[in-house]
This record gives sequence, structure tokens and C-alpha cells, in this order.
Amino acid sequence: MMEGVFKKVEAPFLLYQVDVVSSDDETLQQISDELGLALNVDEMKRIKEYFKSKGRNPYDIELQALGQAWSEHCCYKSSKYYLKQFIFNLETDYVISAIKEDAGVVEFDDKHAYVVAFESHNHPSAIEPYGGAATGIGGILRDVVCMGAQPIALIDPLFFGNLDTPHSELPRGTKHPLYLLSGVVAGIRDYGNRVGIPTVSGLVFFDNSYLTNCLVNVGCIGIARKEDIVPSRAGGEGEYFVLAGGLTGRDGIHGVTFASAELKETSEEESRGAVQLGNPIVKEPLMHACLEIVEKKLITGMKDLGGGGLSCAVGEMALAAGYGARVTLDNVPLKEADMAPWEIWVSESQERMLVTVKPELVDEVLYVFDKWDVPANIIGETKAEKTLEVFYKGVKVYDMEIEFVTSGPEYCRTYVSKKPEVEIDEERIRPPKDYLEVFKKILQHPNVASKEWVIRQYDHQVRASTILRPLQGRINFETHGDAAVIKPTDSARGLSITADVNPWMTSIDPYWGAAASFDEMIRNLVAVNSVPHSFVDCLNFGNPEKPERMGEFVESVKALGWMASGLNLPCVSGNVSFYNETPYSSVAPTPTLMGIGIVDDVTKAVTSFFKRKGNAIILVGETKPEFGGSVYSAVTQQKSLLVPRTSPEKLKSYVDSMLKAFKEFKVHSCHDVSEGGLAVAIAEMGIGNALGAEIDLSGMEGETFVKLFSESNTRWIVEVSQSQAQDYISFLISRGCTAYELGVVSKGEFSFNDRNFNIELGVKEVEDLWRSGLVRYTGW
Amino acid sequence: MIADVYIELKEGVTDPEGEATKKALKLLGFNNVKSVSTRKVFRIEIDENDKEKAEEEIRQMCEKLLANPVIQKYRINWIS
Amino acid sequence: MGDMSDNVNVEDIKIAVLRIEGTNCEDETVRALRNLGVFAEAVHLKQFYSDMIKEKEKRNMKDYSGIVFPGGFSAGDYVRAGAIFSARVKSVLREDLEEFIRQGYPVLGICNGFQILVELGALPGFDEDKPLAETPEMVLAINNSNRFECRQSLLKHENRGKCIFTKDLGVKVVMYPVAHAEGKVTFPSTAEGVYIDRLVENDQIVFRYVDDKGSYAGYPWNPNGSVYNIAGICNIKGNVFGLMPHPERAFFSWNHLDYPNKTALDEYGDGKIIFQSMIDYIRRL
Repeated sequence: MMEGVFKKVEAPFLLYQVDVVSSDDETLQQISDELGLALNVDEMKRIKEYFKSKGRNPYDIELQALGQAWSEHCCYKSSKYYLKQFIFNLETDYVISAIKEDAGVVEFDDKHAYVVAFESHNHPSAIEPYGGAATGIGGILRDVVCMGAQPIALIDPLFFGNLDTPHSELPRGTKHPLYLLSGVVAGIRDYGNRVGIPTVSGLVFFDNSYLTNCLVNVGCIGIARKEDIVPSRAGGEGEYFVLAGGLTGRDGIHGVTFASAELKETSEEESRGAVQLGNPIVKEPLMHACLEIVEKKLITGMKDLGGGGLSCAVGEMALAAGYGARVTLDNVPLKEADMAPWEIWVSESQERMLVTVKPELVDEVLYVFDKWDVPANIIGETKAEKTLEVFYKGVKVYDMEIEFVTSGPEYCRTYVSKKPEVEIDEERIRPPKDYLEVFKKILQHPNVASKEWVIRQYDHQVRASTILRPLQGRINFETHGDAAVIKPTDSARGLSITADVNPWMTSIDPYWGAAASFDEMIRNLVAVNSVPHSFVDCLNFGNPEKPERMGEFVESVKALGWMASGLNLPCVSGNVSFYNETPYSSVAPTPTLMGIGIVDDVTKAVTSFFKRKGNAIILVGETKPEFGGSVYSAVTQQKSLLVPRTSPEKLKSYVDSMLKAFKEFKVHSCHDVSEGGLAVAIAEMGIGNALGAEIDLSGMEGETFVKLFSESNTRWIVEVSQSQAQDYISFLISRGCTAYELGVVSKGEFSFNDRNFNIELGVKEVEDLWRSGLVRYTGW
Repeated sequence: MIADVYIELKEGVTDPEGEATKKALKLLGFNNVKSVSTRKVFRIEIDENDKEKAEEEIRQMCEKLLANPVIQKYRINWIS
Repeated sequence: MGDMSDNVNVEDIKIAVLRIEGTNCEDETVRALRNLGVFAEAVHLKQFYSDMIKEKEKRNMKDYSGIVFPGGFSAGDYVRAGAIFSARVKSVLREDLEEFIRQGYPVLGICNGFQILVELGALPGFDEDKPLAETPEMVLAINNSNRFECRQSLLKHENRGKCIFTKDLGVKVVMYPVAHAEGKVTFPSTAEGVYIDRLVENDQIVFRYVDDKGSYAGYPWNPNGSVYNIAGICNIKGNVFGLMPHPERAFFSWNHLDYPNKTALDEYGDGKIIFQSMIDYIRRL
């Protein structure tokens, strides 16, 4: 049936003309499938109409370019409508550039801006964890470098299936979570460490919804002088396009369309070609060279070659500036000589950057790349007419209006919301039969336990600017910190960074789960004494064509918008990853958040571990029987629908008071209360300095197990000296907050007491349980 | 001519990668594994027709870069 | 020698921090040196020899009175950590570097830099007249844990005065971070004892890993399994010094704020002494 549709063109290379103009709907769909375009019939029909009006049929390279440009990954066709409505509507005076570019740009101080990017690299990592994760790091670094910024920190939230899944229960074609975890961590380690950017924050979460779809989210923060910020567009007519970096090969062909369709059982074999191979030792000098040409002000624009390769980058750089472009593929250095033009055009080979240069400066630009042994070539130029023409070996293989290519469709997809309506008194969550047993299980749960096995494999101190590390405390007793703090310039000002989401909560209730995740992000920023400044999101969901999945997305985005506008916290960049779904399952709704705060003076940053025996331990915030998505409900196997509530007004009032209190009092340590509740928070604070705690809960309202294990939002544990404890509490109460003195820092053991209640556990035993939770699977 | 150059650890030198791999294999149920050791192979194509000269040149490569004599030894295996 | 006889102004001292692709600790190393008033710059190895380099970026080793091989993953650490950087230095700068060391100028190698100095045969450096041995005499082998690890380490200073980089340190324990996969000091197994005796006798041992009580201890205090808990050594002359831990990451006190007993911003951290001693030594040369 397809015979006669593809016509080989007489040329010194492989080129087909495709008959879309006379094809019916069925054939159009077959063309899309045959070429792997992942476009639907309606989208194909638009292409047909376009070429009908041009009076010719397209070449394969033109169709491939449209497949890339109109993919979910490149044009956000399913998400744009809702993102605009709920999230990207907040104006703040310190945001320099949000959403329009590869990364968000936000004012840091008078002279500097920080640059943030956050992306998913899910599908490639599920197929080939090592290469997939490594190229994720490579891509996110390029997003930051192409803005003219020096990367200063990497952030990696990771999500896998349960590590104790028996091999016999793995769906066909699925790799074991332990294999994926090890591979992904090794990929991030070998790439991040080699390029010399510290990995300072992240999270690792285990849930079986990720068994067949692991999620690998990667974030990067950079710093730049404001005047050095480079736009992702050309500066004028007649400028050269210079392609710099690695050679172009077949690796990564169809990476974008591949990320926009559900993984199938057979994906493993079929998709191998779509996973790219990275080379950090090309990236490292590429980064230096790019920053040198920025510093010397030699270029007008810069864009990284990510999804869609040259096909996306050239058009976007020209169109954003109001120009067209002419490109000659002959000058693109190739890994394999026999590549067809479409392969060169959409290749996603790693470590490549595209810059626009005025002709008089091009020699200087080429010299800088040569000095760093980075190949660089002039591949085209900008022109006045807004069309894009591509030539190969003297043949014109591509000629389309850029506006048509970049006018990807936008859908307002239908959705069904999941909103369990429950009231607090409707739920009957029972106390545990054996408190000690439950506490031990929670400490050792992989979602709570020490992530040291992961964290230590990343260099979190290269660049010598990390003030608060992800592990902090007495040497070789370190515990988890709340947010990392980086000092990016010579001044004392710092950036705090955290990554958060609670997929157990979002899977029960996408709205309240997303709100709770936002609350946790803010708590972590505040815990280190930083002022929340901006955030970015990486929204990982299932198939948006299914109304329930779309509903999860819409509810999550609504909640994020509600919280963000109430706190006046701008969302400055982000990424949407749909189709994280296999026939076996869809991922829990996973709106991963990366929060960024400003620390006025890094020496005032507050750490998470107890400092001194005898100091007072204070709980700030209200504790309610809210167990939806909690570790307690998982460990005791009780179903709860009540995901902890929050509100932006309440959160804002607590944030202001906590930050004020840091100024008024000497706070020795502070830790947010999250997974596992109060008991875990106190344990983590003690472990970091080999100290214990003597806790009396009788001053609090409610049942003991609620006090110990509830995961109510907007709470922190604070350590102050005995002499300041009462004043600290009065200060918070006077501002309308709730605060209790829980007890004192002690030595030797953790002891939790309530009316007619006592449990005790040695510090060493608590530490051993917490440290062994993950390594009992990974083997240290 | 083409040679495979094997870089191996000398006897008695601990091989953490081999040890870790052995442990992992045992955990996977391969209980018959007696020992695992690692080696690195470089395939070198050399523009030289005299095998003796070529071998001498590769020896030099090993001594100057490919092997550290403190813990490593090398072995040349001619492919063609 | 002494303060009175200083004949070089600090600002006239030029120190090169060498790099190739994959070197990645040059910025913080340069920053540490510049903070102490000297002129320090990151110099690509090509700037010493390549014809393609423009005149104003060409450099000569004779321009400098100190050299640092910084940390990183030079050339990806492929083949062996530091092996490729070292092979390139040998092919283009061997004589210059030997002369530099023979004349007594200081050479510091941190982490990957230590690995490079070992591959160059500059360490352990037993022969004063031949500062780069023909073949390496030691190796920084893969950690016993078989993986890259980033953690703090405690180092006991044990040099009795030979190492010019720690002359003023005294008997003291310092805290520097380590971050490497290949840092286990290893000597030929048949002569391990002989090597250690010789290093001790020659006063070439500089730092040894200890625990928080100051005692020699195993993992994680000795993070890689180094023989004799060795963290850093110098050559026979005391002017070439290599160590796996990173003093430039402990240069300011704020580099370890998240450890107990933090101090204020303008104060220096444990790492400063290495760079300060290097500069003081150059001033007295």
C-alpha cells in the first residue's frame, strides 16, 4: 500500500520525497508510523495542506523536522494550555527571563543573575540507565551554559521501583530497580564528577509505580554576570551559525519522539539507537570555550543542541530574532560518512552547541574553540526572509517557512479529576500494636533511610563553594541536610537549593499531594535560614491522552499555581514529561519541584544536626491526624485518603515568623518534619552528632502515634539553648504560630514519652537502622 | 598489523573491581564462581609490517603509558 | 633565610595552575593563591608548546616560580588516573620540568595532580639529580571500596621539616575533603616495607589519615585503603608535594561550616597553610 508513497530522489546521498499531497488519512498515519514521526492524523493533515499550497511534496528531512518540532517534548502541546493558566502567570520584579529561554534567569544581586534549568531524562534511563542519566547531566549543563552562565550545582531527583522486588515478578523487558539505581547513579557520578560541577541536592524515592518507568530528573544552577547573559537567538542578518563540539552521528536519532510515546515491552531492543552516548571530556572543554567566547563578548546568541538537534536549534535561533536561515550540511562534521541529510538534521549527538557570530568576529571564535581542541565549523547564516533552507552536496533538501515549523499544535485535553473528599474525623487510623517495631521499620524504610550510598558517589564539593553539603554533621556521623547552600560569588550571599515531591501523597490526591510537596520545598529552604526566591518544576506524568492521567496533571498544576501565587514565588523554568506509562502501570503523579532560596550571609546558614547536650528541642507547627501517603500508613498497612493539608496563607505566616526568629534568636539547628514525622526528624538531627533526645509529648494535643508519626505540613524542629527556649516559643505564639517545647538534646539514647507511654532506643541502634535501610540492598 | 594489548594486575595486587563483581555474582546465585579479576584491553592498529619492530613499539607504549609497572603487567596478543 | 632576607615581593610571584581537558579544580586553586596576593593563572598545557596558540597567550615555564597540578579528571582519567596528562608533560616539557624541580622551585599536586606527579615519576622522587624517575615507583590504585567517594578526612601532619608546603604546620591534625576513586597509595608488593622505611627515614611522609581521636584507623577514616595510612608525600628535596585530599576546598573557614565548631567568614580554614607556605618559600628562594 505504501509503494509509490516514498520516491527516491536522484542525489549523491539517500533522500526520499514523500507523497503526502495525494495520500488519504490512513496512508498519512502509515507515513507517520513508517518514519517514526509520532504525529497523529490531524497533525499530518496540516502538513498535507501546507505542502499542497506550496505545490510540491515534502522530502523526508522536512517531515522529520516537523515530527521533532511538533513533538510533546519540543512544543508542550498537551500541557501549554494549563501551564499558562495556572503557573506562568506570576510577575515578580527580580525575574529577568522565565520560560522563553532554555533556562530561567533570576537576579542574584546587583551584578549577578542565577540561571536554572530542570529536565527529565526518563525514557532513555529506563532503557540504558548509565548512558541515559549521563546524557541527562550533559543536556542540563548545556541549557545553563548556553545562557552564558557558569554551572555551579547539579540536582538529581530519582524514582525507582521497590528494591526488594523479586526478579520473578518483574514484567517482561523491565530491568530490576537495583540495576537501574546503580546504573543511573554511576552515570550521574561519572559525568558530573568529570565535568567538575558539584551534585549537591536531589532525592531518591522508591515506589512500584516506577517499576517499569523509572524517573530521572536532572537540574542545574549556574551563575553569570548580568551583562554576560546570552540570548538563544541571533543578533541580526548575515550572521554566521557556528556549530561547536562533538561530531554528529546516528546516536540519539528519534530521542524526542521516543520520549513522547509510551514505552512498550519491546522498547528495549527497538529503542537502543535512541539512547545517546555522552563524553564528559568533550563537554568539559566545550563548557570552558563557550564561557570564554561569552566573556570576550564575541557572540550574539547561543543555543544548545538538545531534543531535535539542529532541526530545532537553527529555526528557533533565527525566528526568535525575526530572521530566516540558510544552512549547508556539508560543513557538519560527521561520525559516519554515509548519513542521510535527515539524520544529520535531527541527530541528537551530545556535546554540541550552536552560536551566532558577526562575520568579523568569527575567526576569533574559531580560534578559541581550536585552543580548547573543540571542533567548530561555520554551517550557515541568517537571512532576512523568514524561511529556512538547507543544502547538502549542492542539493536543496529543505525549504519551509520557519513559522509553520514552530507553530506546533496546542491541545486543551479533556480530563477527569481525582479528588478524594475526606474529613479528618471520617478516618479511623489505628495506633500501632508495637510502637518500637513500627519506629524501627520507618527508620529503615528506603524512602526514609540514609541516602549516603548515593550522595557520597557524587562530588558535592568540587569548585570549593559548597557551604552546606547534602550530608552534614560530625565527621563520619553526617546526617541529611534540608537544603544545600552554595556561595557562588566573592560576597557572603548564598543560594539554597532543595528538590522535593511526595509521590505517595500525589498518587492518593494529586491536588493536596502537590500542595504538600510545595510546602515541603518551602520548609526545606526556610530550615537553613534562607528566603524562598523562585522554583522550577519537572512534571512527570502518564499518557495525557487518557483523561484520568490528564486530570492528575491538571490538579497538580492547579495546586502548584495556588501555592506559588499565595507565596508570590515565581516559577522560572520547567519541563513536562508525559507518557511515563507502560501497559503494566503509569507513574504516580510526580511534579518534582526544585526550590531556590537566597541566604543573605552564608555564615548564618543553619544546619540540621543537634549541637549540644542540654539544649531545648522545640516543635513549630500544628500536628493533625493526617496520614494519607505517610510512611506510617505504608508500614502499618492502613489505607488513608487524607493527604496533609496546607494553605499558602498559613505557610507564608510561618515562613515569615521562622525567618524573623532566626534573626532574633540563636538557632543551633533546624530540620523540617516530613517523611516519618516528628520521630524521624528528631532521630536524624541526633544521628548527625551522635547525640540523642529526651522527648516529652504530653504538652501536645492528640494521640501519641499521631504526634510521633503524622506528616502534617508546615512543621519544623528547632534547637535553641535552654535560656532562650521560652522566649523563642513566646515569640512564635505572639505571631499566631504554634510551638511546643518537646524536651532536650541528650546523649546515649532517644527517649519518647507521653502520658503512660515510653519508648527508648539507643543512638547507635537508631543510627544503624537508618544507615542500613538502603545499603542492605546496594551492599556498601 | 593489529594487536590486543591486555593490561592486567600483577599477582597479589588487590582487585577491588574483581572482588566486588564476584560478590555481586554470588548474590545473583552464581555460586560456582571461584574468582573474578579485571583486565583492560586496548586494540591497537599499527602501520608496521615487521612483527618484531611492531612488538617492540607496543612494548614501548605499554611502558610509557598503558601500564604502571608497580601493579600492572601487560600481554600482547596479535590479531593480524 | 628568614623574613628579613625576603627578596621577592608577593605580587611579583607567578604561579601556574596547569590544566588540560578534564582538569576541573583549577578555578578554586587559582582563587586560593590569588587570595594570598600572588599572581596565579590557569595555564593550558598547550600554551607551553603549541604553534596554534596566539603570541599573547604563549607561556614558558621559566615565567613561573611555582607550579600546581590541580584536581580533576584529566583526559577523563582514561587508561589510568593521571596517566595521559603525565605522558603529555613528558613528551613536551620533561626537561623544563626537571630543571624547574632541580632548581628548587615548588611543585604541588592535589588529587588528580598527585596522580599525575606519581605517573611522572616525580614522587616518591628519591633521586635529587633526576627529579623524574624513568618509570613510576608507586601508584594510586583504585579505592578498596571500588568506587568514587566524597567525604571529609582527618590528616595528621607527620613531616619533620623537609616538606616546604607544611613547614609551619607543626604536629597537628587538619580536616580536608577527599573526592576520588583512585587514591590508594600502593608500592610494589615485594618491597612495600622497604619503601615505607625509606620514606620515613628521608622525612618524605607528610600526611597520614587518622580518626577523630588522632589514631591511625581503617575505613572510613582511611578512605581508600592507603598503605601506612599515607595521604600525602614529598620528594627527597621537599619541594615536590602530592596529596589526595583537597586543601583548596578547606581554604576558607566557610568551606566547612556544616561541621561542628564553625567559624566566621573572614577566617581561613585548615587548607590555607599549604598555599601560604608555598608562597613564603618562594619569597625566600
